[in-house]
Amino acid sequence: MKRILALLFLLPLAALADDADNESATLSVRPMLCIVDQRTPVCDMQFVIAWESGESGYYCVFSELESDAVRCWSEARSGETTDERNVAESFSYWLNQGEDEPVLAKATVDVLQKSSSDRRRNRRTRHVWDIL
Amino acid sequence: MYARLACLALLLAPGLSLAESPWRLGAALGYGERSNPLVLSDDVPLVLDLDIAYFGERFFFDNGDLGFTFVDNADVTISFMGRFRSDRIFFGRTDTEFVLFDAAGAPLAEAVEIVVPDRDYAVESGFELLSDGRWGFLQMSAFHDVSGTHEGFEIDANYGIGFRSGNWYIEPAIGVSYKSEDLNNYYWGVRPEESSAVLPPYEADDGINVRARLRAAYYFSRNWSFAVSAEYERLNDSAADSPIVDNQGVLGWFAGVAWRF
Repeated sequence: MKRILALLFLLPLAALADDADNESATLSVRPMLCIVDQRTPVCDMQFVIAWESGESGYYCVFSELESDAVRCWSEARSGETTDERNVAESFSYWLNQGEDEPVLAKATVDVLQKSSSDRRRNRRTRHVWDIL
Repeated sequence: MYARLACLALLLAPGLSLAESPWRLGAALGYGERSNPLVLSDDVPLVLDLDIAYFGERFFFDNGDLGFTFVDNADVTISFMGRFRSDRIFFGRTDTEFVLFDAAGAPLAEAVEIVVPDRDYAVESGFELLSDGRWGFLQMSAFHDVSGTHEGFEIDANYGIGFRSGNWYIEPAIGVSYKSEDLNNYYWGVRPEESSAVLPPYEADDGINVRARLRAAYYFSRNWSFAVSAEYERLNDSAADSPIVDNQGVLGWFAGVAWRF
């Protein structure tokens, strides 16, 4: 029983794993999820972005939200920065060694929309527990 | 065949299609119970909660409810609906017992068996109005029996509002439901032929149920969450006074890990 419970709680954590690992470079973003609804349609958040690489060099973090780099580092193996954003849709950050260079690592910030434009999706069913 | 499966996978896959998939599929694994207000009854357990729904432009299916939407604008959505009444679920989990005293407490000459009478599912049709905004979410409905089971009707109103806090999403809701005399009497009345020395005949009048619900979910990701839900419903006085009803309150709860496709 304890193993089943442990599995139940570990499965979601496994789902959070970065899906764009590239060789030895890693990129992590916190938080990775924001929830919006009709009352709060935009997330006003400060993202903490951290990266590491096996080799020292010139690295930049970009986002889908603007063409300029969030920040670049010279002769660095790791770095951390913050980025303040108002977001309403999911987007990604990625690490590379300069504009138009291959993506070394990528992390996606998910925006979970709780209120659908189709209000029938929010109807209360007579499903007693109705937690989904 | 494979092409159809591939199309279905694309429709269901999160983040792959720009348009919202018409399907809503999910499952929650955990544990919950719904208390049974009937005498000599067991609570209703739940381990797996499935969510299966399809929302087309007009037609929709939502966990057993069928609907056809004929008004959908910025203010309201109105649908013609069909559904099964769920009160029957209580009557499927009853026991029998032999007693030596009648309903007034007087001793009986021999043991008499108490049998909670059986009731059927009813098919109902009606209208449902939905509205929402920054003020929350309102759902109003009116349903009438079309299966000749209880031949009554119900008018229901439900209001809820959501709050987010970090990865938590909390949604309290309240509701009120008017049950007609025919509906109330079918489920909670005791017919003369069902009565005995220990189960007197009873005719229920109409009445109003009230309820409150709290749902809370902690989202690990877009698809995974830990969710808890609790709902308390207070049966109307006429139902609660029935000799087959032991508790006026019905408490339902569930806690588990949920996956939304």
